Amino acid sequence: MPFFLQKRYLNEESDSRQKSWVYERDLITALVARDFKVRYKRSFLGIAWSLLVPLAQLGVLYVVFNNMLRLNIPHFSSFLLTGILPWTWFQTSLMAASTTIVDNRELVKQVGFPVGVLPCVSILSQWVHFLLAMPILAGFLLADGFRPSLALLALPIVMIVQFFLSASAAYILATLQVRFRDTQYLLGIFLFLFFYVTPVFWDGSSLPPSYRTIINANPVAGLLNSYRRILMGGTWPDVRSLAAVVFISAVMSTGCFFLFLRSRDRFVEEL
Amino acid sequence: MRAAIAVKDLGKKFRRYHADRPQTIHEALLRGFRKLSAAEDFWGLKDVNFEVQKGRTLGIVGRNGAGKSTLLRLIGGVGRADTGTIQVNGRVNALLMLGAGFHPELTGRENALVNGVVGGLTRREVAERLDSIIAFSELDEYIDNPLHVYSTGMQMRLAFSIAIHSSPDILLIDEVLSVGDIAFQRKCMDRIEKIKAAGCTIVLVTHSVGEVADLCDDCMWLRAGRVEAYGSPSIVGSKYMAAADSETWSPLNDKSVTIPG
Repeated sequence: MPFFLQKRYLNEESDSRQKSWVYERDLITALVARDFKVRYKRSFLGIAWSLLVPLAQLGVLYVVFNNMLRLNIPHFSSFLLTGILPWTWFQTSLMAASTTIVDNRELVKQVGFPVGVLPCVSILSQWVHFLLAMPILAGFLLADGFRPSLALLALPIVMIVQFFLSASAAYILATLQVRFRDTQYLLGIFLFLFFYVTPVFWDGSSLPPSYRTIINANPVAGLLNSYRRILMGGTWPDVRSLAAVVFISAVMSTGCFFLFLRSRDRFVEEL
Repeated sequence: MRAAIAVKDLGKKFRRYHADRPQTIHEALLRGFRKLSAAEDFWGLKDVNFEVQKGRTLGIVGRNGAGKSTLLRLIGGVGRADTGTIQVNGRVNALLMLGAGFHPELTGRENALVNGVVGGLTRREVAERLDSIIAFSELDEYIDNPLHVYSTGMQMRLAFSIAIHSSPDILLIDEVLSVGDIAFQRKCMDRIEKIKAAGCTIVLVTHSVGEVADLCDDCMWLRAGRVEAYGSPSIVGSKYMAAADSETWSPLNDKSVTIPG
């Protein structure tokens, strides 16, 4: 069990660790299910909402960069959607994680509640929406003539890497938001700008070499390339670029988890 | 025998901040990151020592702000003590903030599933006890309606029923016995008596000296974060009542206060 998920008070009996792991898994499942049910019930369109936003984005980007400004990227709609969906998962995860501790203050004050699960719950809740959009993506890919290949087996690995990257940022954002309530707005501005330097609607491989280093330094670009290689190229993702993402996440998360652990016991007083 | 709860030299410091402490990154930047650290510290709890043996019930009385809830939270592992140690042997559950994580859009049943897990049960354990939880809450007719149609009393009944169905070794209770109508209150008290008879250790924070006398084996009186008295419920209870009376009446005895008329 990851150390940051541990319950604040573990019983001394040896079997309680086993129990605790089952418990944490159940807690995360119950909270993700709650998020999902609430979202589904609250609006008339329900789940469709989470699909409409990326589809609208797809429509606008397609018209602007295919009809008005020609980028000349082959199979542009598939290319766009393989970028938009992982980007949306990344973006909404960070937005949700930044406010999760403040929004769930009752839970944080609950005896025995492991606060560390909350950012993970945010990322997993958004992952459910990502999965729900997969059939639509499959439809676009098939219409553009792409066929599934064995490389699809690597898709879960890429998703795990993306989860890891999102988590490394999520913990620090959630911690900051407790102290500085404008963190979520600054994050929104940051993500808005970050979208343009991430190859969601443009192709990184067509850039001059001097710019490519900048792209390589962007971990989300590495992820999007991996998704596209698997889904559109039918090839295995580049292990080195994925390893770079893992490395960046590991460096970020070491600092973030430390800060999170240090601040965790003060959350109750600051909320 | 090992005590269920052993608290030694416990101290909890609270930070008091400047009134104009920056609340946003924007403000903090403009002010050059000044006034971010605490202006002063004060002790919310200090030199608290006590043990609760397994199966005993401890009542904690004291005025608002005396540190009762802070102490209960610390025993439950919420927050960290600045000095001293707290040893807790067994599974802790608390009736502190009932209904944490309740969502008005979800049904009573859905909320019970989430809240039960939040309260420390696994999903299977909640599923097994769900019928009994619903029966105890007396909400069978409404259990599949969304929570926003419930009255406050009904919500509290559901929350209490879920909380009482986890099987803790140590139960922390914070002034929640005033839930629902008299009949339901009596039912709750009966239930707590049963849990107690089953060997559960209970720590109960209350304002009612009567409750302490009825339920508790020992009583602790907290005053401004320190233990003022510890002992049998009848003696500590009457001391506390006497002090509360004199504190209530003291402004009238004070010569500087003039009574008009």
